[in-house]
Amino acid sequence: MKTETEIREALRSWIANTNGKVQPEQLSDETPIIEQRIITSLQVMDLIFFIEKLSDRSIDVESLKVGVFRNINAIYDNFFQD
Amino acid sequence: MTDFTKTVRKLCDASVKDYVNPYSYLDWPESMDLEQWFTSPELISLYGTDTFEGLTEAQRKKLSFFEAVNFFSLNINGERALVQGLAERLYRKGNDAITSYLHHFLDEENKHMVYFGGFCTKYAGKTYPDKKVVFPQEYEPGERDFLFFAKVLVFEEIVDVYNVAMSRDERLVPLARKINLLHHRDEARHLVFGRQIVKDLFSVYAPQWSDEIKQRVRDYLKTYLAVAWKEYYNPEVYRDSGLAEPYEIHETAFQSARAREHRKRVSKGCVTYLLENNILDEEPVL
Repeated sequence: MKTETEIREALRSWIANTNGKVQPEQLSDETPIIEQRIITSLQVMDLIFFIEKLSDRSIDVESLKVGVFRNINAIYDNFFQD
Repeated sequence: MTDFTKTVRKLCDASVKDYVNPYSYLDWPESMDLEQWFTSPELISLYGTDTFEGLTEAQRKKLSFFEAVNFFSLNINGERALVQGLAERLYRKGNDAITSYLHHFLDEENKHMVYFGGFCTKYAGKTYPDKKVVFPQEYEPGERDFLFFAKVLVFEEIVDVYNVAMSRDERLVPLARKINLLHHRDEARHLVFGRQIVKDLFSVYAPQWSDEIKQRVRDYLKTYLAVAWKEYYNPEVYRDSGLAEPYEIHETAFQSARAREHRKRVSKGCVTYLLENNILDEEPVL
């Protein structure tokens, strides 16, 4: 089981790697990744697979609320907090 | 009468001639023995990987069943969005030339969901949900319509390669073969329509877009191609087939050299068409 810090770092690396132009250290937990188009709507599907892998839980996309992918904080709160 | 109007008329005539009743056309066995092929082994997402090599024949056949459920599910998910988009464009101002065909397109897509959904719910008790997310966005004139039909083209052209191969594969369960064949028969018309309308929309609107917008459209389409393929490697399929570490399998299979070659080969028809018409300016990374 990964710690909260490890999960946040894993998300940061994944986002930077997927974008290809930003470095992980340029991404804070509050950087708006969708609004700033660091991650596009099409790439969110891949992000969902990655979150499922990290959390070992399947995500029901139809029940997602607006803003759950806004930044690393929102992702952590919505998919990793019990 | 323009060439496109003539094409639309021919396609409408063909749709009327090929009309089938989805409720009486297929025979549905009460239950399904999973020790049969439902997907051609070579089209299974794990084909050629160490995981696939390590499976027994019975495990491969079980995997082929869930791969078929996934293939049919991603068709349903694509068609749900397609039906919404087609309905939105029916009788819209300026669409007079295509509305008559949109009726057939809608009708045929609904029938496909009857076949695909029937198979998934009767034999697997479920469909695999869509993982795509759409965020609201502002579009330039024509951009939304163009991307809608371009995504339909990409999706249907890839699916059709699978349909054609599996409709001819005598190893498959007759029902799976027949569903693939029925889908291909309608899709052959949809592909003609799709190629024509994508080309027409791009030639009308692209000259009005700035270089930045053109690049945005091309980048979106290239990403869509890659993402459309990801859905073929569904971790839930691997989990349902009894395989451990489904997400690792998903990543390894997607990144394998053999899988890249496969995606390139299957996508070649639509990628070549998009490149030849200057819709794409470079090959997408698949």
